[in-house]
Amino acid sequence: MTKARATAAIMMLAMLAVAPLLVAPLGAQQLSDRAKQIGGKFMCMCTCSQVLTQCNHIGCTTSTGMLKELNQSLARGDSEDTITQMFVQEFGTKVYAEPPKSGFSLVAWALPSVYLFVGTGVVIFVIARWRKRPAQHAAPAGGAPGISAEMLERARAQASRETQD
Amino acid sequence: MDVFGSFALVLAFVCAVYAFGGGIAAIVTRHPLLIKSTRQAGMATCCLIFLATFSLEYLFFSDNFSSAYVVAHSNRDLSTFYKIAALWSGQEGSLLFWSFLLAIYVFSVLITYRNKNGELMPYVGVVMAGVQIFFLTLNNFVESPFRALAVPGANGAMDLVARADGNGLTPLLQYPEMVIHPPNLYSGYTGFTIPFAFALGALLARYPGEKWIHLTRKWTMIAWMFQSMGILLGAHWAYAVLGWGGYWGWDPVENASLLPWLTGTAFLHSVMMQEKRGMMKVWNVWLVFCTFLLCILGTFLTRSGVVSSVHAFANSSIGNWFVGFMGIILLACFGAYFKNRDYLKSENQLDSIVSRESSFLFNNLILLVSCVAVLSGTLFPVFSEWFTGNRISVGAPFFNKVNIPIGLLLLFLTGVGPLLAWRKTSTESLKRNFGWPLGIGLAAGVIALVFGFREFYSWICLLLCVFVASTVGMEFYRGARVIRARSGASFMASAVDLTMRNTRRYGGYMVHMGMVFVFIGLAGAAFNRDLQKDMRQGDTMQIGPYTLVLQGFETKPEKNYTAQRMLVEVLRDKKPMMMLYPEKRRFATTVENGTMVAIYSTLKEDLYVVYAGTSPDTQLPVLHAYLNPLVKWIWFGGVVVVFGTLVALLPNRRAVLVLSGAQQPAAQPLAHGLTPSVTLREGHD
Repeated sequence: MTKARATAAIMMLAMLAVAPLLVAPLGAQQLSDRAKQIGGKFMCMCTCSQVLTQCNHIGCTTSTGMLKELNQSLARGDSEDTITQMFVQEFGTKVYAEPPKSGFSLVAWALPSVYLFVGTGVVIFVIARWRKRPAQHAAPAGGAPGISAEMLERARAQASRETQD
Repeated sequence: MDVFGSFALVLAFVCAVYAFGGGIAAIVTRHPLLIKSTRQAGMATCCLIFLATFSLEYLFFSDNFSSAYVVAHSNRDLSTFYKIAALWSGQEGSLLFWSFLLAIYVFSVLITYRNKNGELMPYVGVVMAGVQIFFLTLNNFVESPFRALAVPGANGAMDLVARADGNGLTPLLQYPEMVIHPPNLYSGYTGFTIPFAFALGALLARYPGEKWIHLTRKWTMIAWMFQSMGILLGAHWAYAVLGWGGYWGWDPVENASLLPWLTGTAFLHSVMMQEKRGMMKVWNVWLVFCTFLLCILGTFLTRSGVVSSVHAFANSSIGNWFVGFMGIILLACFGAYFKNRDYLKSENQLDSIVSRESSFLFNNLILLVSCVAVLSGTLFPVFSEWFTGNRISVGAPFFNKVNIPIGLLLLFLTGVGPLLAWRKTSTESLKRNFGWPLGIGLAAGVIALVFGFREFYSWICLLLCVFVASTVGMEFYRGARVIRARSGASFMASAVDLTMRNTRRYGGYMVHMGMVFVFIGLAGAAFNRDLQKDMRQGDTMQIGPYTLVLQGFETKPEKNYTAQRMLVEVLRDKKPMMMLYPEKRRFATTVENGTMVAIYSTLKEDLYVVYAGTSPDTQLPVLHAYLNPLVKWIWFGGVVVVFGTLVALLPNRRAVLVLSGAQQPAAQPLAHGLTPSVTLREGHD
């Protein structure tokens, strides 16, 4: 690679690296909005399945009303817990945007980790088994019940004979 | 025409039943005439479905308001463009559209293999006909799109009537992407029927597994490509039409489309293990089975009303049919598997944990964990109601918390996989291959920190994106360098030549690069911000570097709606840049309003402006402006993904060059110790 091309390649990678940097100052300037932050923890109850602050129905009276209640509560100085209780009393547990980390809802939070651990365990088990196992084509298939190596080879030959890409 | 369409559907059902029953008889008897006639019945089924679909479109184009479906989803002033989309805008029509797309695939398969694979095709034909029977049952007997409009008469009987005009198409669907997004997504869903049919057919026929993989590779990639396009077009539609400033809300219907994409992606990777090493045969068969099941599950979720969604069709009893169908599929899959599982034995052992094989295993693990996490999150409200009596919602915050780390892990593996060798990777090779990409990635991370980048996940994402881009770049560089050394062509021409010699491998790398761009775009979401203000004429709003000035407000009557739009001037550094026209549309035929977001999009950021209605307090128009960084990278990444897939679908231009020592006595080991023969070997890696 010539020097010019190497420079071009490095510049391209540098551009790729710098792209997200362009937005860094925006993050730093952004002001926190408590109503927006708390509102992001509830669902809009207009059946749109959207987070309260992101309800996309133009003129949605449900989200407007809920946001108004939220603003009034904040103006009164209510805590986040009080606001949460108020909404849960009014709409039930389906108002949560994410399951609360208590009771049965803990299952929702635990499941992804369980999947990951169980899956990792299975992969490690499979790898260990594969490492111990001799190559199939080098040994008779006696280890597995059902069909013999000859039958398997015959089936393979038949599939090869009967099919075309 | 409605009678013609109904008749075509009934005939299609009869032909499909014959293709199914006759196909089973053909498998048992091996009678050549029976095999031929069932194949032709399969093709006739497809042609009749085409006719039925065209009949329904004709009803739309001819404004036939004696048809209940046309009345519900069209009106006279609806443009021709959207009359096409009206076909799939309701439950009945979209199910017919499912059958239509499935028929295109089935017809293509039957034509492509009409003189090939004579022993396998009857099995495949039976499975495909089985799936068609299910959808034709729905089309004919459950949700017929050809019902005539009728009202209760004086004597209690139903009187057929015709309306002067229809109710019109839902405003949300009157957007150009709605004409291309559903066909793409449905093509993905229906396309996975083909690998499923081959996998189940091959298992029933006791084929050891290699052949169906070869036969269906392209079909799987086509389905995957359509699914990817469908998902991204859907995201773009949500972004440009719904007006909430985002593109992915983890809505149950969105999630449903993601599930088969995740397992399909896992399959496209693990299939290489089977081709290359004869391993993971059982896993691959089940991945295909699960992908197809998830396609049906997604359709079930969209149509049954079991989960609430803004994208879902009206609730109906159709869900029970889907549950029954999924049960039958599961039974067939388990039955075939337990009967013939011995034919799926792996042929090789794993030589080392640090190998391409292991990376594929972990790649599959992460994709599957993501899939089941999204699935269980989507269904959790239903489970919570069953177990506790209270429905607990699971919204975007939950899915983001769970899936962002998983996505980053996957991005990491995207970079690692290509650097590992098949069978075994030596420590020396690890150091050689990882050195530069890791160094460049870390350097990018440090630079980002120095510049004040403090969002943890976005920072990790940036670092990994640069790492993966470096690995992809190095792969192209190494291969192209060898070709250039031999041919003397320019570096770019060598890179193109390299790609065309092993389209699958380098097309795959392009797909990886596209995913890097998508991830860069996703990382930008951490810096989104928005501002909402009641605006008088002449009022200004400042967001980021942009000053928005409301210059006016106008009402513009159009053929099918009346547009109310804000005239917003955009200034940057006090200099006028452009005018944006966010608008709200009031349709004559429906009380619902439509939104047209105005977007000024650059690679750096999107200025996204919404006319958010009238303030109930001030009676002034409300302007909602968002500044969404890097969004354009997502759409660009999508284009690269599709381009890469298309490249991977191309046949290799000619036999892959293998530079042996005898042919190239002067060939020196490349930098990093790779010999040319290793770099350019033929294969599916």
